[in-house]
Amino acid sequence: MEDPMAGTSSAPTLVSAIGICKAYGGAQALRGATLTILPGETHGLVGANGAGKSTLIRILAGLTAPDAGDVLVDGNPVVIETPHAANELGMSFIHQELAFVPGMTVLENIMLGLPKKTRFGMVDWRAIAEDVKPIADRVGVKAALGASAKGLSTAENWLINITRALVRKSRLIVMDEPTAALSAVESERLFAIVRALHKSRVAVLYVSHRLDEILDLCQHVTVFRDGRSVSELAGPTLTRSSLVEAIVGGAIEAEPKRATSAASRPIILSARALRRAPKVIDANFDLHAGEVLGLGGLVGAGRTELARLVFGADRADAGAMLLAGQPYAPKNPAEAVRAGIGFVPEERRTEGLILTKSVAFNLSLANLGSLIVSPALPFISGSRRRSLAERVIRDLAVKTASAETAVGQLSGGNQQKVLIGRWLQSKPKALILDEPTRGVDVGARGEIHRLIRGLAQAGAAVMVVSSEPDELPDLCDRVLVMVEGRIVAELSGATLNRQGIVAASYAAAHERNRS
Amino acid sequence: MSGTSIARRRLSPGARIGLAIFARYATIIGLALMIVIFSILSPDAFPTLNNFVNVLNQASLATIIAGGLTLAVVVGELDLSIGYAASLHGVLVTGLIVHDKLPIALAIVIVLALGALIGVVNGLIVTKLRVNSVIATLGVGTIIVGVAFAYSSGVPIVAGVPEGFLQLSLGRWLFGIPNPIIIMAVVVVGLWVLVERTAIGQEIQAVGGNPIAARLAGISVDRIKILGFVISAVCAALTGALLASRLGSGTTNAADSYLLTAFAAVFLGSATLRDGEFHVLGTFIGTLIIVFGFNGLNIFGAPTFSQYVFQGTILVVAVALSSLGRMLAET
Repeated sequence: MEDPMAGTSSAPTLVSAIGICKAYGGAQALRGATLTILPGETHGLVGANGAGKSTLIRILAGLTAPDAGDVLVDGNPVVIETPHAANELGMSFIHQELAFVPGMTVLENIMLGLPKKTRFGMVDWRAIAEDVKPIADRVGVKAALGASAKGLSTAENWLINITRALVRKSRLIVMDEPTAALSAVESERLFAIVRALHKSRVAVLYVSHRLDEILDLCQHVTVFRDGRSVSELAGPTLTRSSLVEAIVGGAIEAEPKRATSAASRPIILSARALRRAPKVIDANFDLHAGEVLGLGGLVGAGRTELARLVFGADRADAGAMLLAGQPYAPKNPAEAVRAGIGFVPEERRTEGLILTKSVAFNLSLANLGSLIVSPALPFISGSRRRSLAERVIRDLAVKTASAETAVGQLSGGNQQKVLIGRWLQSKPKALILDEPTRGVDVGARGEIHRLIRGLAQAGAAVMVVSSEPDELPDLCDRVLVMVEGRIVAELSGATLNRQGIVAASYAAAHERNRS
Repeated sequence: MSGTSIARRRLSPGARIGLAIFARYATIIGLALMIVIFSILSPDAFPTLNNFVNVLNQASLATIIAGGLTLAVVVGELDLSIGYAASLHGVLVTGLIVHDKLPIALAIVIVLALGALIGVVNGLIVTKLRVNSVIATLGVGTIIVGVAFAYSSGVPIVAGVPEGFLQLSLGRWLFGIPNPIIIMAVVVVGLWVLVERTAIGQEIQAVGGNPIAARLAGISVDRIKILGFVISAVCAALTGALLASRLGSGTTNAADSYLLTAFAAVFLGSATLRDGEFHVLGTFIGTLIIVFGFNGLNIFGAPTFSQYVFQGTILVVAVALSSLGRMLAET
């Protein structure tokens, strides 16, 4: 790929943030961070969770104000007080949680918040559509502009957001973890768009934990660690090992050796012909004590839906389950918890945590029974709650100012640890984790993997859903691959590797399409 | 969304902390200021033990109904039926005692049980039929008005109210403290312990904070919400019975105005000490502010209209303070 090392030091900068500091409560999120983006370049921003990436983006987007430091656009100091001001300066932001209105059409969503052409005082949608159509085509929006946005995939939403940024004539598009929710095919489409943006001189700030993408797409990469920019890499210095070293600030610990086959251990949970059409069709599996069972496949293959059936978050149309030999048909999650199952949901902020409440509060939620003084006196023991919280914080190395800090102030990786820590005390027979390392950095990812292995070694049956083919071979003893609601392959031992999982996900899909 | 609200502006950390302290303590400072100012303006009538006992006595009914409402809002719902329900319970308890000659205690137990039933109905409509709680409780409240009229034909039950029933609110107990104050203290302490110190209370707070997360943590969200409505309705029933005893009659709209007072108190309370979170102690302080305000206006002989202006203003200021606290907590 061409190397536009326009980076001679005299080149004008598009956006630069210099010496930015920001504290949330007692936690210092940024300590003099610096980021310089040149016109038209694809600039990578990487760093561990809690390194300050999201905070810097929030400052550029006008969502929060820095305590100190300057932001310059085209070399001129600016104060970005509102998201609108950020847009006026030529910046667009595509956040992890996409904002769109399902009840409106694709075109209306693209034009959300943009000035619209009018005719006799009324919005002239026809003229707008003519302007937008070529841009939408270039980006690759497949849905018709007049179609309802309801039910569009995450990938389509990304394309709509990119189209909006281009209609707005943005000079910088900030993408926060763009591929976290995309399948492999959708990701490829996104990469092509990012490359095209580079060609047409639109700068992209690409924030991702996936280093292969960063290496593939970016000309410059800034690495954040502990609220500071520790390294800026480009050209020959930009390699995987230099990135990892900068992110972690040292070597990564090797992960513990995987346990041997667990097939001989007792079966904790078994499912037969479990069905909730069309997302889960006749699923059969056994989950053994002491094993980590992976659930792989493409986004939308029905893995989350299967996990939710086991946890009683949704109810099955048909089929049966046995838990420790007893018939098990949870009507709701409360029954599943009572039966001894724990669940770590995919969306930790909206489905997992109560953000305004403290770390201790969130940790205690699944353990209230063990915290009461006695069955006759159902009062919560404050000291027991505190000691539980402090033990989990210590064991899991959760970075937090205190047990009483609101959990919303923690970084993503630390929030995830709190969510998993909730189930450590109650020692469930089976624990289901949905995308446990999504949006989590290399270091915290290793810690979470060790934690999951540790739970299995302690005898729990663990089921992990993951969209990253790389993650499952590292973590699991066995992996089931789902395609279009069905379990199509079981991989273990020598067949358990990245290629095997990807091949099973695609081969089966291909076959089904032909028949 | 526009982001130019006060809390989002580019503020120095000092100003931000100052604003946060203001948002948390403004209500308590306001209460203290009000007491000081009234004491200076009216040194003979206002700052006397008698008047303070009188104010607490006045506040007791409002505190009980607002304390119950607090449980409904803590689980994330609104209950607009409480005022009408309290009126119905007042008519009903008087009728049961006067017309049906039931023992006073039994009549009160019956209305409390009916209150619980109304709470269950509200809760089932909201959780099982998925009707927005504003609409559900407005509908149920309107039905309740109809029931109250059907029961009493719109005629207040005045004659034949026994002395024993009047003594429920007029009597004094321990150290000569009026009964309603004692009942209020029991209710406030009971609700506070329930929400802050019990396992169920933790579940109540979790459901209010994030119902999806609470459900996936294994909490029975529907049951907790129904519980919130039941407590709200039972407290409304208790208030209705005490009001009938105080007035010596059962009137079909006697307690309707408590709805607004309760909402103002609950929102004032959410702006007190915590960042926009509803809590029982806050509600108690909120009620005191409103009742002290009314009391002061009365002592100075302020015209009736000023009381409405006062209460409306308080409601808006309370909600603004509450959301200011929440915004500061989030950013």
